[in-house]
Amino acid sequence: MKLAAKYNRVTLIASIIVFVFTGVIYYSVIHYILTDQLDRDLEIEEDEIAAYVQTNGKLPQAGSFKEQKVSYHLIDPERDFERRYFYNDYFNESAQKIEPGRSLISTVKVNGKLYSVTVTKSRVESEDLVRIIFLITLSVTIVLLITLLLINRFVLNNIWKPFYGILSQMKAFNLADKNDIRIEQTKIDEFTELNTAVAAMSLRVKQDYRELKSFTDNASHEMMTPLAVINSKLDTLIQTETFSNSQGELIEDIYVAVGKLSRLNQSLLMLAKIENNLIGDQEAIDLNELVSQKTRQFQELLQSHNINLKTELANKKINMNKHLADMLINNLLSNAIRHNYKGGEIFIQLDDNQLTVSNTGSDAALIASKVFERFYKNAASEGMGLGLAISNQICNLYHFKLNYAYQNTRHTFKVSF
Amino acid sequence: MKILLIEDESSLRESIITYFTDEGNICETAVDYKSAVEKINIYNYDCILLDLTLPGGDGMEILRAIKKINKKDGVLIISARHSLDDKLDGLNLGADDYLVKPFHLSELKARVTAIVRRKSYDGSNIITFNEIHIDTQAMSVKIEGNVLTLTRKEYDLLVYFIANHSKVITKSAIAEHLWGDEIDLSDHFDFIYTHIKNLRKKLVEAGCKDYIKSMYGVGYKFENV
Repeated sequence: MKLAAKYNRVTLIASIIVFVFTGVIYYSVIHYILTDQLDRDLEIEEDEIAAYVQTNGKLPQAGSFKEQKVSYHLIDPERDFERRYFYNDYFNESAQKIEPGRSLISTVKVNGKLYSVTVTKSRVESEDLVRIIFLITLSVTIVLLITLLLINRFVLNNIWKPFYGILSQMKAFNLADKNDIRIEQTKIDEFTELNTAVAAMSLRVKQDYRELKSFTDNASHEMMTPLAVINSKLDTLIQTETFSNSQGELIEDIYVAVGKLSRLNQSLLMLAKIENNLIGDQEAIDLNELVSQKTRQFQELLQSHNINLKTELANKKINMNKHLADMLINNLLSNAIRHNYKGGEIFIQLDDNQLTVSNTGSDAALIASKVFERFYKNAASEGMGLGLAISNQICNLYHFKLNYAYQNTRHTFKVSF
Repeated sequence: MKILLIEDESSLRESIITYFTDEGNICETAVDYKSAVEKINIYNYDCILLDLTLPGGDGMEILRAIKKINKKDGVLIISARHSLDDKLDGLNLGADDYLVKPFHLSELKARVTAIVRRKSYDGSNIITFNEIHIDTQAMSVKIEGNVLTLTRKEYDLLVYFIANHSKVITKSAIAEHLWGDEIDLSDHFDFIYTHIKNLRKKLVEAGCKDYIKSMYGVGYKFENV
């Protein structure tokens, strides 16, 4: 939930609760005051009747007059009679309709006879008053709420703009990118602070990254010379004397290890390069041609493993660096051979949208989420675990998608253009 | 042939010199930018092996200097920088080939031999080793006048062997030469054996002596018998 929406919801709920609560109190107070006023009027009327009886020795005339009605009843003096106020509906003769009223019933003694006196006053006016006051209050509250919502909507959005600005920059932040985070000017202290902190952090991170990267680069480069020395010394060594076969095996093992080490080094350098977008020179690559060429290059290897290669290649040209295209096809194809079994199959399919390389191999599917991670490989693999990571990086660079799936006992790698 | 090796790493220098000198090649060395430029200005070489990272200056500058004084010397760049840009720059500046460290000495020898052959004034495209005659232009092999049909890989292998004759060539060097170093073949060396066997068979059947010897499981040697 967005902060503004959350805030709006809280204010809205709070306002409604406060409004209902105060509304009830307000209504009761006004109602009480007006009823009190009516009761006082009724009391005055009662006093007037009593005074009239005292002066004239008879009851004033009963009847309806304006918003007021008076009636008398002879009652049994023995009976308990309580003076009380009550609400009732009465027939207003001047308005010719039944109206809500407030009555006072009390007693008066005329010439020894006890009469009950009922004075009724119309409540219509006071009810109207309460209603009007209530409506005015309600409309003021609603206008207030709407204003509040509008303020929240427009002003809050405006206030938060710098926040979203810096947020989108942080989302787009790329370590390898040359652009730094730009600080947008804002008058709000919190956001200024945030911007400065983010900018400082990104600079620091980039600095660290640069140092780490140049360290890796230098380390890899520096390793090449000693490796070259080892290799050349081995080449010299095997020219010198006659070795036994077991010595030869040892030397071969060293060769293989040195070869792996230098390939590992080159792969790391290549990964760093692709990640830093240091690959230029795109050209139109005829994938059909390239794949055919690579299958020819791998032909002897395929034959020695008795692997049956089937291809279904359509014409497809893509723009990419020649060397990287080479490397991508190399990696996919050599994986398909390496993780195959003798007499297995490889199927390469190329159409306008995708290149698919599928091969027979181990029965279990690889872990799809990990297969493109660096140095991920299954125990049986003799590779370095960088080939697919590099392939994935190459695909990312050109916005292709590289997917792995295990379908119908085949390991399938698919590049979608 | 006369070779100038410009390389600051002394161990590597020694190995290369040892590998190159024993059959009448003259191999001179320069260890830094200054001495390299001096030698280039005074002498002519069949091939200059140039390391790009040198004390005292960039190897690329030496390449520029060579081209500026219109020297016809072949130039082979050997560099630890496996950078495409460097490779392209070097080749654009007129280097004949580019080899990335670490490399096999046999590969270096084969490439230098190829450069020298291309550069040689007599325009000879013929490699001769006893009864074997190879026309590199036509890519054809004759054994005492009889044409021998070889596959592309077998042909490459034979040229490679002759360039490194009397040397032990490792299986990994052969694999890298024939299939390129982009393919990691270290777990499939066995199948190289098939190619060697086929070549050997064809040569012997064509009346050639059996020059190819297996050496203690590490590699092979093409040697006069």
